[in-house]
Amino acid sequence: MFKFFSSTNIYLLIQRLIKFINSIFFLILIIGLTFALVLSPPDYLQGDAVRIMYVHVPSAWIALACFSVITLLSVLNFIFKIKNFYFINKSIAPIGLLFTCLAIVTGSLWGQPTWGTWWAWDARLTSMIALMLFYILYILTFKFLSKEELIIKISSIIAIIGSINLPIIKYSVEWWTTLHQPASIKITGSSSIHPEMLLPLMVMLLVFLLYAALIFLMKYKTEIIRIKKKNIKRY
Amino acid sequence: MISNFITMNGYGLYVWLSFSVVFISCVVVYVKTKKTLRKYEQEFLAELQNLTLEEKNKALANSKIAQQILATNFKAN
Repeated sequence: MFKFFSSTNIYLLIQRLIKFINSIFFLILIIGLTFALVLSPPDYLQGDAVRIMYVHVPSAWIALACFSVITLLSVLNFIFKIKNFYFINKSIAPIGLLFTCLAIVTGSLWGQPTWGTWWAWDARLTSMIALMLFYILYILTFKFLSKEELIIKISSIIAIIGSINLPIIKYSVEWWTTLHQPASIKITGSSSIHPEMLLPLMVMLLVFLLYAALIFLMKYKTEIIRIKKKNIKRY
Repeated sequence: MISNFITMNGYGLYVWLSFSVVFISCVVVYVKTKKTLRKYEQEFLAELQNLTLEEKNKALANSKIAQQILATNFKAN
């Protein structure tokens, strides 16, 4: 079991996964874009501006998912001291930051035609800015600190404090009066989004997930090579 | 129909700008990540070249990762 999780096996698995994602990515991207830009219907209120949803919503979901994973692995790393979790977190954080920024920018571009403003300091938007700041702080610990143990401690503390912001982001539209609309898609309970819009959204989510996985695998592979380079004379 | 697709019934600027920002950012991050990976592979190979022949053979025999990096680099060149 533990042999399976050796860096060699992980490295070989990463190679295979990168090849697999590369082989299917463009096909799914083309299908997703065709659905999002051509086949999905315009909204009865927002018109074609609703198409921004197909890049905005998956970005926001992945941004939140990345920080949730970082928090979970930070807690587990605190308890079990598994160094691999630190490398996984280091590889995930830039992806989370990218998608947080994209969610904010595309949200702003969606806000102008629908709300009549690029930006409002309402609860959802402000909590997303807070998430971006937590990501930046988290990444800065890797850039500016040199002792690995200190990096793990400080970055874990940032992740755990930052995780308080996650339920605030999720429930901000219910707890406060915001410009941002409430969730249209619910895991429990009925969703208010039409299936003709839900399908393109799910395909675009798959595209974004594949992209995020590809970047994660490449970054994680880089980390493995970096460690192997350090220990090259030990073979 | 094509002009409707481009103008998106008046929302073209916002829709195309959103998709472009996402596309360009993703391409930039992909290229940057790939470059960094390549840089580390090159550095690993350079380190391998600095070893004595005996150390090098030992490293290649004991590390599948070293073999893989060498093979990838061989293919790329």
